[in-house]
Order: sequence, then structure tokens, then C-alpha cells
Amino acid sequence: MSKNFSRRDFLKLAGVGAATTAVLTGCGPASKYVTRQQYLEMPEYNYNGQSTYYATTCRECAAACGLVVRTMQGRALKVDGTANHPVNFGKTCARGQAALHGLYNPDRVTDPVQRTARGGDATTIMGWDAAVQTVADALKNNQPSEIAFLMGMAPDHLFDLVTDLAKTTGINAPVRFGALGAFESRTTLSKASEVVFGQASIPFFDMGGADVVFSFGANFLETWLSPVAYTRGFSNMRRANHTKQRGYFVQFEPRMSQTAAKADEWIPVVPGTEGLVALAIGKLAAEARGVSMPRAFAGVDAADVAVRSGVKLETLERLAGMFANSASALAVPGGAALGQSNGLGTAEAVLTLNALADNLGKPGGVSFSPVSPLNDEYHRPASMKEMQDFIQQMAAGKFKVLFVHGVNPAFELPASLDFAGASANVGQIISFSTFPDETALLADYVFPDHHSLESWGYQRAATGAAQSVLSGAQPVVSPYFNTRSTVDVLLAAAQLAGGDFATALPFADEYEFIQNKVSVLVGEAGGLFSAPDLPTFIAYFQQHGGWWKTEAGFVTPSAPDALNRNINVSEAQFAGEGEFVLLPFVSPTLGEAGANKPWLQELADPTTTVMWNTWVEINPVTAHELGLENDDVVKIVSEAGELEVPVYLYPAIRPDVIAIPFGQGHTAYGRYAAGRGANPAKLMGPHFNEAGDIAFAGMKVKLEKTGRQQFLSRLESRMGVYGEGMGEEH
Amino acid sequence: MMNKSNIPEVGANFAEGEQGKWGMVIDRDLCTGCQACVAACSMENNVAFVGEEDSGYGRSMHWIRIERFWEGEYPEVKMTSQQPVLCQQCGHAPCEPVCPPFAAVHSQAEQLNLQVYNRCVGTRYCANNCPYQVRVFNWRDYTDDRLDPALVTLKNQYNPDVTVRRRGVMEKCTFCIQRIHKAQDKAKSEGREVADGEFTTACAQACPANAITFGRVDNPESLVSQLAGQNRGSKLLEELGTLPQVTYLNGG
Repeated sequence: MSKNFSRRDFLKLAGVGAATTAVLTGCGPASKYVTRQQYLEMPEYNYNGQSTYYATTCRECAAACGLVVRTMQGRALKVDGTANHPVNFGKTCARGQAALHGLYNPDRVTDPVQRTARGGDATTIMGWDAAVQTVADALKNNQPSEIAFLMGMAPDHLFDLVTDLAKTTGINAPVRFGALGAFESRTTLSKASEVVFGQASIPFFDMGGADVVFSFGANFLETWLSPVAYTRGFSNMRRANHTKQRGYFVQFEPRMSQTAAKADEWIPVVPGTEGLVALAIGKLAAEARGVSMPRAFAGVDAADVAVRSGVKLETLERLAGMFANSASALAVPGGAALGQSNGLGTAEAVLTLNALADNLGKPGGVSFSPVSPLNDEYHRPASMKEMQDFIQQMAAGKFKVLFVHGVNPAFELPASLDFAGASANVGQIISFSTFPDETALLADYVFPDHHSLESWGYQRAATGAAQSVLSGAQPVVSPYFNTRSTVDVLLAAAQLAGGDFATALPFADEYEFIQNKVSVLVGEAGGLFSAPDLPTFIAYFQQHGGWWKTEAGFVTPSAPDALNRNINVSEAQFAGEGEFVLLPFVSPTLGEAGANKPWLQELADPTTTVMWNTWVEINPVTAHELGLENDDVVKIVSEAGELEVPVYLYPAIRPDVIAIPFGQGHTAYGRYAAGRGANPAKLMGPHFNEAGDIAFAGMKVKLEKTGRQQFLSRLESRMGVYGEGMGEEH
Repeated sequence: MMNKSNIPEVGANFAEGEQGKWGMVIDRDLCTGCQACVAACSMENNVAFVGEEDSGYGRSMHWIRIERFWEGEYPEVKMTSQQPVLCQQCGHAPCEPVCPPFAAVHSQAEQLNLQVYNRCVGTRYCANNCPYQVRVFNWRDYTDDRLDPALVTLKNQYNPDVTVRRRGVMEKCTFCIQRIHKAQDKAKSEGREVADGEFTTACAQACPANAITFGRVDNPESLVSQLAGQNRGSKLLEELGTLPQVTYLNGG
């Protein structure tokens, strides 16, 4: 966009399409080149008492939901979904709603700082010039192979910038990680998809069109992959109309998650036998259909599976009959079922059920999401095994400088991988964190990035949308603190560093970089809009909150041999000793990084209604055998560590399983997060499945009483549901 | 069928069988209990968070909460369908006749239960008399940045269309009356009626499962009337004769 954008041009653009006129283009106060002016000289379109709305992209997780943020007089007031955005269609989750408590969080990093000693709170404030010089020196004074970037799953434009930098200068390619990706076992899903369907990607499961959905541990109503999109799919599946009946939903998992609570049937399988159950259902369904027995299921003994999985043979037969007789059956492999030593086999078995149901590429079936614009293929985040390799390189002193953005490895990674210990052997750590998280505490410098609602950028929708989507981000308010865009810092530092760095990133600022990236879409046919030139395209891009194709672009998985392969679901191996299998799950309300937002803390957990803390879920019968009551603090001992947590008597969990939410247990990250609850990442040992994802649900643990009590704040206590059904009457 | 003997006829704003004006339909079969509505409501309506200790005492200020109950025991245990409960905007509201300073009053124009914050003296009679337990009380000054310095930055987010409440005041869901008024003003300035679906409440707008629908129940053509007219609808504690304006759709 030119620096002299006239009012007439603005009005022309703002008048495009009646439905979108409420959403301004980037020519408003958020525009890159508009300077702050006196209050008396407010732009003509900004009236006292009138709101201005900006379209941007949510960064509370990497799903790339479109947001429209209501602002008034320079303040962001309310987040809502972009009505026609293909990922979320106007909807948001609780974490998206609470993004404003991140923006206006009292504990943000306010200025670029140098830390006096790693791990300590003491810092000195630097100027941004000195900060940029520090980054430039770090780039210039080290060998390219000694420079590493560790990044989160969002935003994509920064990832693209660092990837370009790596290609030109030979620094290490950026490594991406997120705890959500680990709990989703994304690598396993992608690997199984390659084995069964010949494409290493995240399959899209079209729940909305399915009559019968069998989910093997996929918590798609909570945090899985693209929760708003999958909740829409669930809602469409459940809704009967004149073209379809109400869908039937069965969830197989050892603990009733929020997702399983919505299921018509919850089948509490023995942990690690989900793959066997899928194979048995495949065999029985093939028999029920009277087709010749596919090789994939031929070797399965359903009666044996019934014994090992704890699911009655009649139940397996009944469910298999339902699966076989449905016009549109769908099987979904997810999360904890794949986070087992045999997770890859489980994922293959479940995906193969879809081949049996013959739903590939069909409505209500499995397809591949279209690849996003500006992307050649799906790039998955690093698996836990790859993170272990990365940390080993850190520990071996391979990296002289480590840049960290958008991820909090000191909190999110299992303590057994010892990120903190390995970081001692990294010469210099520079964090770009917006918040003073655990990793920022280990960094020598924190050069805070803007909050996502103050930032430019774009994010690719990896899955969840029918179309190819590039979701655009623009600032909805001016930066509240003395922060600076990490892209701008890197661009300026690259120029200072000179040489390859300067030639790799020849952009004046972030805005020019983004324009350069999206310029390939100018004139692209089949999109939401087309524009003759880049400035017009960019204006539309900001107005609509991105660019996407108007036609669905699903790719049909090609699986000619899917049913004729042998599938090996080995017996699950459990690390450690003890009478319980530990099932960590991501808190549906907090996610991986929500703990510093007070309204997310005050939301009642959907299944337990606990607020502001961590609990461990134990079956009431087991608990009473052990003499445990609600709020008794127990010590959970795994092979990797121990944790003290209050007990919640949870009526819907297997007696041999205990479950604990991930999301709390911060030692830093601001006043609302620090010193609250416990982090189950401390309990996880370095055990992986065949795909390299962590076997987080394959741990045995012991419980020890502490004799102490800690009262959990629960919403339900005031509703008077103590007693009945909760085991209190025993 | 109905025993209204405990509730005086005085204060009934419309008779049984008649409709109010604004109403809501909540589909229990679709609600996933995800809390997006609770978060959206709190951000829209400047609802204060109270912290771990006070929320443990039942002082949390959610204007909408998601109820769930358990049936049976493991392994035949089932969670009842999640059910968001908010002020039912009763046509015959038990909270209204008990308020000494007339802070809980009925809007004749909008057929909603109002809470006039600057009349409220904190007797809490209304909350005691509400069968739905949807009124919440400001036990402390949760919104005063002199008491909590964190609010100096957080209060930037406050919605200027909604009053910030202080200690000693009762509050509750308003059906986002600020949004109703804004839509009415806009329609009036354009010389037309408010169209069905033109605006909605914060909870309904956020709901990822589309389980909440808001609109005019006195218009038989509106989506909310169509949904409420399905035979799987019921109202909470309607045997009390409160004439609630929220219809819950059962599962299956």
C-alpha cells in the first residue's frame, strides 16, 4: 500500500461488498504507516462511541480461525469469529474469546531486556537499537551451523521468513514444536496416513456428513487439530434434517473426556488396546457385510480382543454391525490412543476402517485438506523424538545461539528431556516471548514480540477447512507496550549483519515482507476475491481476513491396497511401575498456553467443573479402596518424576487409570499462572512410539497418600450435586 | 398441572400461553460444554473474575454456567447432556416482587427482567428467590483497579456499553440488552424493523456447535420460534409458573 493512501481510495475499498463493509481494511489506525495523531484529529470514519472492526487471525492455537475484533478508540473490546471464514464460520472457542486477556495481561514483557543471570528475575531494560544490534551480532559472529531457531506452530509468516533465511545463509532450519501437536500425536497420524493412504498429511474427517462416527481417543471437541471446525462438524452430524438422520457417535477411550461425554456411547477400553478394537470391529464388520475378509483384518481373533480390551464380544459385534450397516461410517484416530508404544499400528488400524467403510474422498468420509496457499505440502511440527535430538544437540554444545519464539519448551516438553539442563550449553539464548514464561527466564535476552492482536502476519489452515485457506492477520490496536515485531527485528538485524543475511531478507519491514509473500496470489483465479494489483489485493486481504478458494479442494486419499496390508498392532508397552496407567490430557479450557488468562482460569472445566487448579481423576470405587476422598492430596510417582495433586473422584474413568490435565503448573508466566497447579510433563519419561511421538499415555504410576488436603474450587459444589453418583454415599 | 399458589398474580407480565418478546432456544444435543459461551459472555458483559479462593466459596460471577450431571455408576455411567443455564428472563419472575428497592424490575418494552444496578442495595432477596440460581452477587470490589493493580491494564478490554459493577450489587444475564438496543437503533435510523438473525447475544454468537439461538419468540417466522416449536422442547422448572423464555431441546 502506498504511503499516501487517499480518503477517496479508502472509501472505494471500504464500500466493496455490503456484507463486509463493517470490517475495515488496513487503512485504519492499524495501518502500518499511519502515525499516532492527536485525539482531536481522529480519522473521519472513527466516531466517538462507534466501534471499528478489524479482521485478523487467532493465534491462541495454530488452527487459523478468522477473527473480527471490535475496537473502540484504540482499545480492543471483543473477539468474535469472521462470519464467512472457512475454518470457523463466525465461531470461536473459549481460548479465542479470552485472547484479550493476553493482550491486556498485566504481566507482559514490556520492554526489550537483558537478563542478569539465567533463571533469575533480574533484568536490565535495553533500547530496541541495542536489541537489534544484539541479534545482528548473534547472526554475524557465529557460524551458520551454530545458529538455531525454535518456534511455535504459529505464526506461519515468521516461520517462512526464518525458513528463507536458513535456505540462503545455511543456518539451521527452524524447528517447530507445540505441546498440542504432541498430545495430538500429529506425527503418528501423518505417518500412518502415509502408510495407509500414501500421503504424509493430516487427514480431514468429515463428521458433518457421517451417520456413524467411531472415535478412538480423538478429543475433537476440545483441542484436537481444529476444534472449532470439528465442533461444527459434530453439530452438523448430530442435527437431523430432511436429508439425513441424527448421527450416532461412539468414543473409545479409558477416561470419559469432554468429547466422550457427548458421545452416544462411551466404551472404556483398556489403554493401548484401541488398535486391537479397531481391527476386531473391522473383522466383524467385514463379516457382517459378507464381503471377502480383507487381509488387514484376517488375522484378528475378536474373542481374544474382547478379553484384552475389556469390551464385551457382544458389544464389539453390535458396534461392528452398526458400522457395517451405516451408509456413511467414519473412524477417527486421535491423541491418547496414538500416544502409546503401539500408536502407529493403532492409527493404521483406525484409518483402514475408513477404507473398509469405503468413505475415502466422499462426504462423511476421510479426505485430505487442500494444501494452503504459499505452501507446497503439509509441514508437520517436530515430533518428540526430533525434539529429543534437538535437545541433545543443545546439550552437546552444537548451538552457540538459540532463538525461541512462540513456544515455551521449558514448560511444554517433558522434564525428562531436560531442556533447561541442555540450555546451559547454549552460548546465547534470545527469546522473543510476549510473556515472561519459563523459557524466557532461561534466556539471556527477551526481545518481546507484539501480542498477536497487535501483529501483522498470516497463518495457513492445515486442516479443518474445505478450501485452501491463507488466513491474514493485521493489528487491531497499536502496540500497548514497548514491543517490536520479531520479523522487523530480524529484518533490521539481517541488514546490520550484512552478507548473506542482508541479501536473504531485502525487505524494509514486516509489511513489505508479507506483501512480497502474498504477491503470488494476485491474479490467482478461484479465490474469494481477485485484484489487479498488489495494493488492492492487500487491502482486500486485510478486509476479509485472508484469502481462500471459493471451491472445496479436498484430495481423495488413494488407497488401493489399504485393506490388503498386514497391520501390526503390537501389545502396548508401559514404562515405569505402579498400579495405575496415567492418562495426561490437555485441559480443554486452558490449552497449552492459556494459564495466564484469568478468565480462562475461572472457566469451569467441562467435565469436573474445577477452576484455577490441577487435579487427578480417580474412579470413586478405587479411591475408596485406597481410602481417598475428594481433595485429598496424593503424590503421583512415575519413573521420570513425581507430582503432588488433589484428588477428584471422577465417576467416568476406568478403575485402573488415573488422569491429569496439562496446562497448569507454571513456575513463571505471570501472576495468574505461576505457582498454580501441577505440570504432568514432569511425569513423562522419554518413551516414543514407532513414529517418534511421545508415548505419553503409556506410563504406569504409583499413588502415595500425603495426608494433606487441598480444596479444589469447583463450580458444581454450589449447584448441590455432591452425593448422588459421585461415590460420596459409600 | 401448574400450581402457582405460591406466586402472587401481581407481577405477571403476560398470561400463560402467551409469548414474551425475546427468547432463546438451547439444543442440549448439540451443546458440547466447551465454555465458549461463558468466556464470550464474560468478555462482552464485563463480568469480573473472582480468583481461586472466592470461586471455591461459590462466589464466581458467571452469568451463564454449563450444568452437567451424572447418571449411573461405572461402567454404565453417563453424563447428562450439558446444559447452559442463564437468566431465563421469566415472564412471571420470582426475583421481581421481592426486591425492596425495585432494582429487579420488568421491562415493559423488551419483556426482559432488568437489574438496575444503581438501585440495588444488596439484600440478595432476588437471588434467594430465583429457582434457577442465575443471579450472582458482587461480594467484593472485583473491578476496582485501586484494589487490584492488574486491572489497570485488563480494564482496557471493558465494554463501554455495559456498566461495570461494584461491591454489594446483584447482577445477571441481560440477554445482551446493549446489543438489542444497538440493533434497534440501527434499524430505526434506517426506517425498518430489526431482522431475524441480524444480531445475536454474545453466547450464541460464539457457540461453536450452534447450540444457542436467540430471537423474537413473538414472531412465529423467526428461527427461534421455529426451533422452539419442535416437539422436543421443554423449559426449566416451568411447573413453577415462571414463564421462562428459554426453551431447551432434548437430545436424540
